Amino acid sequence: MGPVPSTPATATFRSVAMFRLQGSKVLAVDMTGDAVKAKNGSMVAYDGQMTFKKLSGGGEGIRGMVTRRLTGEQMTVMEVTGQGTCWFADRASEINLVRLQGDKLYVESSNLLATEAGLRTGTSFTGLRGATQGNGLFTTTVEGHGQAALTSDGPAVVLRVSPQYPLTVDPGAYIAHQGNVRQSFQSGVTFRTLLGEGGGEAFQIRFEGDGLVYVQPSERNTIAGDV
Amino acid sequence: MSGYPGAGPTVHDPMTLPVDDNVNAYTFCVELKGSQWFLQKGKMIAYYGSIDFNGVGHGRLDRLVRTSFHSPLHASDWVVAEGSGKMLLADRAFDVNSYDLDNGNLTIRSGNLLAFQPSLSLKQSIVPGFLTLIGTGKFVAASNGPVVFMEPPIRVDPQALVGWADCPSPCHHYDHGYMTGVMGGLRALTGLGGASGEEHQFEFVGAGTVLLQSTETLMAEQATGAVPHQPGVPGGGGTPGMPGGHGGQSGGPRLPGQLGDLQRRFGL
Repeated sequence: MGPVPSTPATATFRSVAMFRLQGSKVLAVDMTGDAVKAKNGSMVAYDGQMTFKKLSGGGEGIRGMVTRRLTGEQMTVMEVTGQGTCWFADRASEINLVRLQGDKLYVESSNLLATEAGLRTGTSFTGLRGATQGNGLFTTTVEGHGQAALTSDGPAVVLRVSPQYPLTVDPGAYIAHQGNVRQSFQSGVTFRTLLGEGGGEAFQIRFEGDGLVYVQPSERNTIAGDV
Repeated sequence: MSGYPGAGPTVHDPMTLPVDDNVNAYTFCVELKGSQWFLQKGKMIAYYGSIDFNGVGHGRLDRLVRTSFHSPLHASDWVVAEGSGKMLLADRAFDVNSYDLDNGNLTIRSGNLLAFQPSLSLKQSIVPGFLTLIGTGKFVAASNGPVVFMEPPIRVDPQALVGWADCPSPCHHYDHGYMTGVMGGLRALTGLGGASGEEHQFEFVGAGTVLLQSTETLMAEQATGAVPHQPGVPGGGGTPGMPGGHGGQSGGPRLPGQLGDLQRRFGL
C-alpha cells in the first residue's frame, strides 16, 4: 500500500491510489475504489472494474472551466474510478513521478499525465516565461498531498534550487517546478541577436529560492529557439 | 521523498552533478571553471553558476576563434560558453556521449556535434555536411541510439553513419547491377521491381574507427551554406544534400533546369 500520510487531516480512511512506473513509459495505478484524474485518452489497459468519466474543463467546477477557457490552458481530463490496476501512457514519452506534500507543482498542461484525485489543479499566470516556451501565458498548478505523473521528451532531470545555488533553465527544456521558488525571466537579446550573431540562449528562466525544477533533455520549438 | 518505489528520480544539485560526464544517457554535464567551451546553439538546457553565452562573432573572442574555429560557414550555429558553473547539454532526447581525442582527428556529421573544448580545433570536412575535429581534448556528440564502433574495411548505410576517426574519407559504393541504366534508376527511385533500399553504401578502407548509430533515423541537418566557389573545391557550386538527407533546408540554391542529385547519380 501507499505511504501513510503524516498529517492528521488526511489520515482518515481515504484509500490512496498507488502510482508506479512499469518501464519508463507506462504508468500503472493500483486503485481500491478511489479515483485518479488523467489526461483524456491516455489509458492503455486496465484490469478489474473501472469507470471512465470525462471531466470537461479540467475538473475544477464551473469556475475552473471558465478560467481554462479564458486562459487557453486547456486540459481534457478524465476521472478514472474503480478497483484494480489501470495503465496510462502518452505517445511513448517518458513518465516522471512527483510526490507532493502540501506544496505546489507548476506544470505545463501538456506535460501533465495523471494526478491523484485528492490533488487540486488550477491555473496560474506565468507572464513572459510562458510566451517564450510556446505554451501560452498560463500554466497549470497542482496542489495538495499525493502523487502526480509528468511526461517529458526523454527522462527528466530533477535539479535542486537552493538560495546559494540559483538555477537558469532554457524555456524549451523546462517542464515543471515545485516548492518555494521565485522565477524571473532573463532576456539577452542585444543588437547581436538581430545580426544573427546572438548567443543562442537569448531567453532564459532563472529560478531562485528553495525547490525542484524538472527539465527534459530536449527542447520544444519556441520563439526563442533560433535567437 | 525517496526510499519509496517510484517516488521519483534522483534530485541533482551542483554538488552531486557529475563533472564532464553523463547525468543520464540523454543529458551531459559540463563543468566550467573560468574555462571556455564551444557549444552548438540551443543545446544548453540548464545551468548553475554564472555562464555567458556569446556568438562566435563576438569581438572579444576573436583570438579563441582564430585558433580553434575554422568553419566560417558554421559560425552562426556556434556559441562560446564561458564562466564558472555547471551546465547541462542535451539534444532532442538523443543519446549523448563524450569522446576524448588525444592528438587525433575525427570527422562527424555536423548536426551530431554538441560541444567541444577549445583545445580541439573545428574544421569543415571536405565531405559536405561533416566537420572534422583535430587536436587533443573532449567533445560531446549526440546519436540516435547508442554509438557502435567498427573497424574498416566496412561498408555502412549512409543514414547510420555518425562519423569516423583516423581513417581516410569514405567513398560511395553502389551495387551496380541494380543501379545502372534506366531500369535500375527507376527501380531505385520507385522501389518497384525489388529495390532492397541497400544498393548504396559508404565504404571505408584503411586503419581507423567508424562510428555508427543504431538507427537509420537522421538528425535534422544544419544548413551550413556553401563552400567558397573555387576551382578544386568539391561542392563549390552549392551544398549537395547527403544521400538520404532530409535536412530542413538541405541543399544550396540549385540552377534552374538542373534536375537534382538523384538523376545524375543514376546516369539519367
